[in-house]
Amino acid sequence: MLALWLEDELDGEDFAKVEAWAQSQPYQLAMRKSARKWKAMISAGIPASEEPPYPDFFNARIARSISQQKAQEAPEAKRENTVPFWRKFALPLAAGIGMAFTFWLGIHSRSIPVVESIAEMTAPGEMTQLADASENLPATVYTPENGVRAECFDSDAASATVVILEGLTAIPKETDLTRQTAAKDASREIDSTAQAELPASKDPKP
Amino acid sequence: MSSPFQKLIAALLFLAIHSGLHAIEDPGRTRIAELRVTVYHATDGDPNAAGPRALPVPHATSSRFSSEERLRFKHYRQIGRDASPLLRSYESWSQPLKPSDEVMLRVEAQGQPTKKSAQLDLELWLSRKKILKMDAKLEDTKPLYVLGPEWRDGRLIIAISLAPNSKRR
Repeated sequence: MLALWLEDELDGEDFAKVEAWAQSQPYQLAMRKSARKWKAMISAGIPASEEPPYPDFFNARIARSISQQKAQEAPEAKRENTVPFWRKFALPLAAGIGMAFTFWLGIHSRSIPVVESIAEMTAPGEMTQLADASENLPATVYTPENGVRAECFDSDAASATVVILEGLTAIPKETDLTRQTAAKDASREIDSTAQAELPASKDPKP
Repeated sequence: MSSPFQKLIAALLFLAIHSGLHAIEDPGRTRIAELRVTVYHATDGDPNAAGPRALPVPHATSSRFSSEERLRFKHYRQIGRDASPLLRSYESWSQPLKPSDEVMLRVEAQGQPTKKSAQLDLELWLSRKKILKMDAKLEDTKPLYVLGPEWRDGRLIIAISLAPNSKRR
C-alpha cells in the first residue's frame, strides 16, 4: 500500500489513511517527492498514448513472407504442368519392356551350350559309334591292398566279365563260411549301411 | 488353454512328423535294380571240403564256369548267397556269407540302369579289407565273376549278377 502511495496510485479511504500517517514521516514524503519528479521527467520524454509498433510490424512481416512464398511456388507449379503427357509414361513403359525382354532372353538362352553343340556337330551315326565305344571300354580295376593284383577281362566262353585276384591271403581252413546256406534265399533288405545289421567290430567299413 | 508353449510343441511335432514322412518318401532310396551275389567254392580236390551245408551247383552254372579256363575246377559248391537292392542315390552292401563278414560287397549305381544293363561302382571287401574297386557293367546275360581267395584246397568264386526279375527303369 505504501508503494502505491509513493506512485500516487492510491485513492479513497486508503489514500486518506496513508496520507495521514505519512505527514509524520518526512523520509516517506521525500521519497514520494522524488518519485513524482522522476515520473514527470519520464512523461516528458515518452508520450503516454503512443503504442509500441511491434504487433503491426510483426503481422506485416508474416503477411509479406507468405505473399513472397506464394509468389515463388506459383511458377514451379506451372512448370510441373508443362511436362508432356507422353513423358510421364514413357520411362515406366520403357523400363517394363526392358524387364520383359530380359526375362524372355533369360528363358530362351542356354547357359551351357557346349554339350549340345557337340551333339549337334556330331552325326547320328558317329554318336552311336561313340556310345558303343564307351560301352566297350574295359572296366577300370583298382586294388588298394599291397601285393594284390587284379586281372580283368571279358570271357566270351563264359559270357561274363571275369576278374582274377592274385596275391590274396588264404582264408584259414577252420573258418566256417557255410553257416548261411541252410537258410537259402532268405530275403533280406539292406537299404544302406545306416540300416545294415553289421557287427560292431566291422571297422573300417564306412 | 493353447499357450505359446503348447503351440511350440505342436509345431515341433508337426515338423518331426513331416520330416519323417519326407524321409520315408526319399526318392534316393528308390530301388532301381536288384543284385544277386553268390559265393561258390571251387576245388579240384574233395568236393565235401566246403562242409555239409554247402549246396550243389546247377549243371548250367558249373559248365559256365568250366567253359572259362581260368575258372575251371572239378567241383563247385554254393556256400552263400545274398540279394541286394541297387538304390538310386545310396550305396548298398551285400553280405553273402552272413553272418560271416569274410566277403562283403559294396555297390552304388553310376547311372540309371537300362532294361539290359546297369553300370555300378563296386567294391569287394575280404576279411574286412577293401581288396578290389572297379566300375562294373552288369548285363542280364553277362554276370561278373571274381576269382577270390583260397579256402580249403580250393578258391572262392564270387558271382555278381542282375536279378532276372528286377524292375529296371
